[in-house]
Amino acid sequence: MYTNTLRKKMEDRAVHLLCLTASSGVPLYCRSRGTSQKQLPFPVIGSLNGVHMFGSNQDVLLTTTCTENARVAWRVFHSSITLIVLTSDDCASDLYLGRLLENVFNAMVLVVGLDDLINIKNVERLKRDLRASYQLIDSFLEVSEMVGDLVQCVDCVLSNNNGVLQSCLDAFTQAAESQFGCLLVRGKVVVATEKWWRLSAQEVMLLAWLVASLAPCSSRDYPIYLPQGSPTVPHRFLSFQLLPGVDVCVLCGPTPSLQEVENELVERFWKPLLEPLKDCLRIQARAFPGCISLHQGIMGLLLINREQKKSLYTVQPHAGEARPESTLSAEERQSVLRSFYTLAVSRYFVSEDGEDKSMSTQEEFQAGFSHRGKECYVVSSDHKCYGIQHEQHQLFLLFKPEVPTFALRNITTKTLVVFTKELPFC
Amino acid sequence: CARALVFGGNVIASETGLSCPDRYKSSKGKEYLTNILREKRRKIFGLIERPVLPPQVAADTASYKIFVSGKSGVGKTALVSKIAGLEVPCVHHETTGIQTTVTYWPVKLRDSERVIMFRFQFWDCGEAALKKFDHILPACKEKLDAILLLFSFTDRSSFDDLPNHMLRSVTDSENIVKVVVGTKFDQFMHTDVTEKEVQEFQLTWLLPVFRMKSVNGPWLSDGRTLDGRAGLAEVAHLLNALAERLWHQDQVAAGLVAGTSYAQEN
Ligand SMILES: Nc1nc2c(ncn2[C@@H]2O[C@H](COP(=O)(O)OP(=O)(O)O)[C@@H](O)[C@H]2O)c(=O)[nH]1
Ligand SMILES: [Mg+2]
Repeated sequence: MYTNTLRKKMEDRAVHLLCLTASSGVPLYCRSRGTSQKQLPFPVIGSLNGVHMFGSNQDVLLTTTCTENARVAWRVFHSSITLIVLTSDDCASDLYLGRLLENVFNAMVLVVGLDDLINIKNVERLKRDLRASYQLIDSFLEVSEMVGDLVQCVDCVLSNNNGVLQSCLDAFTQAAESQFGCLLVRGKVVVATEKWWRLSAQEVMLLAWLVASLAPCSSRDYPIYLPQGSPTVPHRFLSFQLLPGVDVCVLCGPTPSLQEVENELVERFWKPLLEPLKDCLRIQARAFPGCISLHQGIMGLLLINREQKKSLYTVQPHAGEARPESTLSAEERQSVLRSFYTLAVSRYFVSEDGEDKSMSTQEEFQAGFSHRGKECYVVSSDHKCYGIQHEQHQLFLLFKPEVPTFALRNITTKTLVVFTKELPFC
Repeated sequence: CARALVFGGNVIASETGLSCPDRYKSSKGKEYLTNILREKRRKIFGLIERPVLPPQVAADTASYKIFVSGKSGVGKTALVSKIAGLEVPCVHHETTGIQTTVTYWPVKLRDSERVIMFRFQFWDCGEAALKKFDHILPACKEKLDAILLLFSFTDRSSFDDLPNHMLRSVTDSENIVKVVVGTKFDQFMHTDVTEKEVQEFQLTWLLPVFRMKSVNGPWLSDGRTLDGRAGLAEVAHLLNALAERLWHQDQVAAGLVAGTSYAQEN
């Protein structure tokens, strides 16, 4: 099913996102991506909202639909904000569209706070304030090199120097009078403090995406609301660009000032670690260090730690020179891996923790089977995929088509052992 | 004389044919500029990095905090991007909170072999956040060395508001370098402010006014990368003026020169 995707260029897929007030249907903003960057005509926006409103007046909840060339999903948040997404990507799954709308709403909360979204007093002011969330929202519409938006577990980078980086971050965060600190390389978490990992998985992901989406700068003091932890009281989110592409972030109260942290702490703590930090940049695309070598048939990897809500994701799993020829472009590999993940978790690895159940309005067949699968695979003309689900981990591998199907299981199991037993990604 | 400086920027100017003979120091200046360029593009430095000068050059770093002030949409973020050699965003996103950007500018003292590496940190903050959160403005003004007061050539009201703008932003007692910058000077077709009015303003307030075009380009041959050297040439006049005034202010503060106020030059 998803191989069709590959024939189409990613850029050709248009995505339109509409945000309206739920009560009166006043458009708050509209974001688009794709070749047809043109805005949707106003009557179309009106009808899309109208059909949903009509449904809800009849006590019918309209969630998704598909036409010949488009898919549409609706969602109302706190009876106040309606989000509608329309995409020409006929392979966009309900799972993906649902998570996209959730990410977008959380991005709005992050920037303007929940109060202003629930009690809309001044539509014009809200519209203006929401502009500040466009960069983050747009990053969810773009084709990304990260996967945290879909799996809701932040993308991580496993460095050789995790030990020293972790102790430095802990000490730096404490010196900045905070317990929440995180070191990012191009939007992926290298290390974070224990408290940071106690933020909700979505918040951890959002903050990483926020830094990745904003125009780079030396430092910032950015007021944010935490969608789960503190949706109505803002915190100060400080970030410091140690190297271009490497940022250290802390969440603070009223003190210390940006200048104090920057002048007194940043160089003192981080300058001694210049080389380990540069190394993070070198390995970030691969997401793990060169000392780990994987089976040559692997073209992509997605490993999820379900307990700690972390993920390792790469479509360049081989270090430097050893990079084998691949039949698919990097973007295609990303797309296949994302589709395979979606297929696996919505059909076979259905979670028991009810979190997704409440959202599930699918037909019985689509909702999966009465039993849960532990492994699944897909074979196509230009690639193969294998997925394993364990108590704590999920591993999805993308293979070259030449790898014999009977070998997939063995390679996948061995790869999981490498990452969970021999490395600190546990 | 306090103005004993030779500026890296003048070397660029001479290369683009706008040479200032009395400050011309070709080979030397070029050498220093290579430290803030990589191949032909601007180097971006993280907070734990520094430009590396040749070991025989005794270079000191002089760091300054500069607040970029002006109403929403006037062009603060675009100006800072232009100065830093970053791409100017083509759509206006209100800046959230405070955003700082560090830029290095090597300058050679005229009457010695000393090179000063000026480290300018520009503080830019969005108006909405400034109104909504109390801590933002004080943070921007803490230990300030200079302020850029922005108006836009395409917005008459921003020019008319300058006197009030100044009153709001700085108190007279503070030792702060004040520089006025007129943005969107490339939009001369739509200009709302005449040359004569700018002249009058300079005479009345004894403040320099700089004209800026915060637009992207020129580009390198790949069509995607900004030409760092050409970009520097476009901002050199402003960086030089800041360096000169901040250096002077430091010397006055240290009692090295008499504290005459800095009238406009040229
Ligand atoms: N043509 C032109 N446009 C500019 C210039 N400076 C800013 N702009 C545009 O004006 C808008 C607002 O600029 P911005 O720097 O974001 O304003 P801020 O709110 O003061 O930070 C943006 O769309 C910029 O691209 C300029 O010198 N020339
Ligand atoms: Mg701005």
